[in-house]
Amino acid sequence: MKRTLQQRFLDPRTKLFLLLMVILSTSMAPSLSYELCLVALIAVTGILCGRIYESLLAAAVYGAFYWLTILVLGVMHGGLQTTMIAFLGLVHKVYPCGMMAGIIIYTTKVTEFMSAMCRIYAPKKLVIPFAVMLRYLPAVREDWCFIKDAMRLRNVSPNLAGLIFHPAVVTMECVYVPLMMSASKTADELSMAAVTRGIENPASRTCLTQLQFRLSDVLTAVCFFVWFAVGRFW
Amino acid sequence: MTNQTNLKKEGRTVKDLVTTGIFTALFFIFTIIGGLPFAPNPVLIFYMPIGSALLCGPIFLLLVAKVPKRWTVTTLGIIVGLIFFATGMHWAMDLGYIVMGFIADLVGGMKKYRSVKMNVLSYVLFCLGATGTYIVFFLNPAGWISTMVKNGTEQSYIDAMTASASDWMLAVILLGTAAAAIVSGWIGATLLKKQFERAGITP
Repeated sequence: MKRTLQQRFLDPRTKLFLLLMVILSTSMAPSLSYELCLVALIAVTGILCGRIYESLLAAAVYGAFYWLTILVLGVMHGGLQTTMIAFLGLVHKVYPCGMMAGIIIYTTKVTEFMSAMCRIYAPKKLVIPFAVMLRYLPAVREDWCFIKDAMRLRNVSPNLAGLIFHPAVVTMECVYVPLMMSASKTADELSMAAVTRGIENPASRTCLTQLQFRLSDVLTAVCFFVWFAVGRFW
Repeated sequence: MTNQTNLKKEGRTVKDLVTTGIFTALFFIFTIIGGLPFAPNPVLIFYMPIGSALLCGPIFLLLVAKVPKRWTVTTLGIIVGLIFFATGMHWAMDLGYIVMGFIADLVGGMKKYRSVKMNVLSYVLFCLGATGTYIVFFLNPAGWISTMVKNGTEQSYIDAMTASASDWMLAVILLGTAAAAIVSGWIGATLLKKQFERAGITP
């Protein structure tokens, strides 16, 4: 029961709308406290989507950044302050969008995403690479850990020092070649799996999860839209 | 080789699409890794495209070698642009990636994506897409600053940026990006020849 609730709290299309609203709100944010409330709103959405622990953690980290920014504005002076503010400015710009995107990626299954994209008539030739990419991003980190181990075994240090003391080309080869080899292999395997499961089927996609807009979608969307409007006109 | 003759009829298969997606993920990660050391510093931010261009060459070339078909590079540009848009970057950079992705696709397509030189040139053009933000900056500094401040970038960041920006800067960025892309492309071409063709990874 809990599982079905998790999946169906928000429609993937609503999530995309929320992401757009967050991007627009962040890019036009009038003040820091406005962004703090935006992050709180995102955290609530994340909790309602079933990601309680992660949402709270992300909100807490943002709170720390918020506090740090206020501290920097109050205490520091001169060049150090400029550098810090530049860095924090970037954090404040990217953080809400990244948080929303992370929640979306964690709570949306690929099939749901694909059929939602079919519903809004997004071209399949763009949707398939996109979905594959989102799924492959975490795998890259895993691959990288294996490659690091392998490099240590062969006495090639996988960090900056190794790049300087070893001939740079050797280190580069040790990074690129295994990563790209495994990427090519994954591509082959994944496409075979996808074809086996009938991705080439010309008929329109079906999905086990019912995709439809419900009251929770409307309410969340309205909340985010109102907050965007608040930042814009008030 | 039989694939080559009926390229136009077939279009892109699912395998091509999946390959594009996976290499887009790698491309995106290496762009971020290359750009990250530059982004938080207002003086170094101008050189961000150079850092990104330096890392992605091998990935781009292998992608083009594996999927030598029309629209592959355009798809790469669109997805990278969309994701940068989703992380709140300046619109000119996102648009730059999409437009230059299309142009790079055309350039590579002139030789059917088989000529190494043309592919490297296509990669150079693609990398120039990331400089879109700075081109807009130098065309109209006042308008750019007001947009960025409105977008939430701190005033002091902008001040430091404008202080370190002079007229010759745009040339340095463009030429530097192109040079970094050529070096990266050359390394990529060498790697491709030395490792991937022999291993039979490229068709």
